[in-house]
Amino acid sequence: MLWCAALLPIVPAMLFAQSAASPPDLTGVWGIYRGGPASDPKFRPPAPSLLVLKPEYDKPYQARRAEEAEAAKRGEQLANTSAECIPYGVPVMMSIAIYPVEFIQTPKQVTIISEAFSEVRRVYLDKPQAKIDDVAPGYYGHSVGHWEGDTLVVDTIGIKPTVSGYRGMPHSPQMRVTERIHMLSPEILHDQITIDDPVVLEKPVTYTVAFKRMAGDYEMVEFVCDNNREYVDEKGIVRLKLHNQ
Amino acid sequence: MKILQALRPEVCGAALLIAGIFGAASPALAHHSFTMFDMTKRLTLVGTITSFEWTNPHAYIEIDVADEKGAVKHWSIELGSPSILMQSGWKFNSIKAGDKLTLIINPMKSGQAGGFLSTATLPDGRVLSNGPRQEPPPAPPQK
Repeated sequence: MLWCAALLPIVPAMLFAQSAASPPDLTGVWGIYRGGPASDPKFRPPAPSLLVLKPEYDKPYQARRAEEAEAAKRGEQLANTSAECIPYGVPVMMSIAIYPVEFIQTPKQVTIISEAFSEVRRVYLDKPQAKIDDVAPGYYGHSVGHWEGDTLVVDTIGIKPTVSGYRGMPHSPQMRVTERIHMLSPEILHDQITIDDPVVLEKPVTYTVAFKRMAGDYEMVEFVCDNNREYVDEKGIVRLKLHNQ
Repeated sequence: MKILQALRPEVCGAALLIAGIFGAASPALAHHSFTMFDMTKRLTLVGTITSFEWTNPHAYIEIDVADEKGAVKHWSIELGSPSILMQSGWKFNSIKAGDKLTLIINPMKSGQAGGFLSTATLPDGRVLSNGPRQEPPPAPPQK
């Protein structure tokens, strides 16, 4: 067994060298993975941390939630962005219902496409991050990434405040989204998302979206919001247009 | 070592599972909520399709339904998105105008002639559902 011991210091170095030289390939189409009672515990996404807004933001946030709950009791849905075909942006586009997400990885860029609303974000691996003030605010912001071993670490800034927030949270132009993306197995991918907004949040919030590689030769389906029957009435309630002859 | 192993299963496992279900469910948004539909009621419609709209954000079946007196009422039935429907056997050309179908729907709470599809029995006898579970995720606990 002594010859094994002699190899021990070399093996980790070899593995690290291999990771640094050739990071894992995240390319593929990944479906949302919820785990469940029969699933392997080590693949289930961990529970999210608490979302704690600063008091001046928490008050209107809780009031809106209460309004939504009251409307739901009346069988009504209050206006939201997707009812008007407005896409979700970063980071919410990573976890929309059961729509899959496609990763296309090259050495200098990882492109991520969500099937819901056909949203596209680009993570640049060969550029430094810009200053927040130098980024034109938008749905996707400016994302740069680098590899730490087998984990793709992504930093995103410049998401405009009108874009849907995690769990409906408000956010300021100062919001910064950090993601740690890695494969736990060839079939399971986790995206650990941390939202840091010193203006709105008491502390950063972290949640994990888990994915499972889509089986077979799954081809992403296009999503053009071209038959949206929903509209928002004068009271801010979402209504459905029916084709009544 | 033994104490750590004892902590892993059962108690911790159950707690993590519950947290995991809520944790996984909380960030995953539905396109829109189901508050417009009465998910506790089911209605059976038998009729003739006037159009099958294979579109986003939702596919629609437009269907003429005759009542027992022969009066025809037109219904608009919402399905999941094409992506979701394909996961339970639907194709863009599974049904077409003129096909006779039996639909089981959750009707609109407003009483309008509309609803959300539960199952559809196709002319060839196949029964297709409306994609995987469409119920909204449970509201996660904040505390």
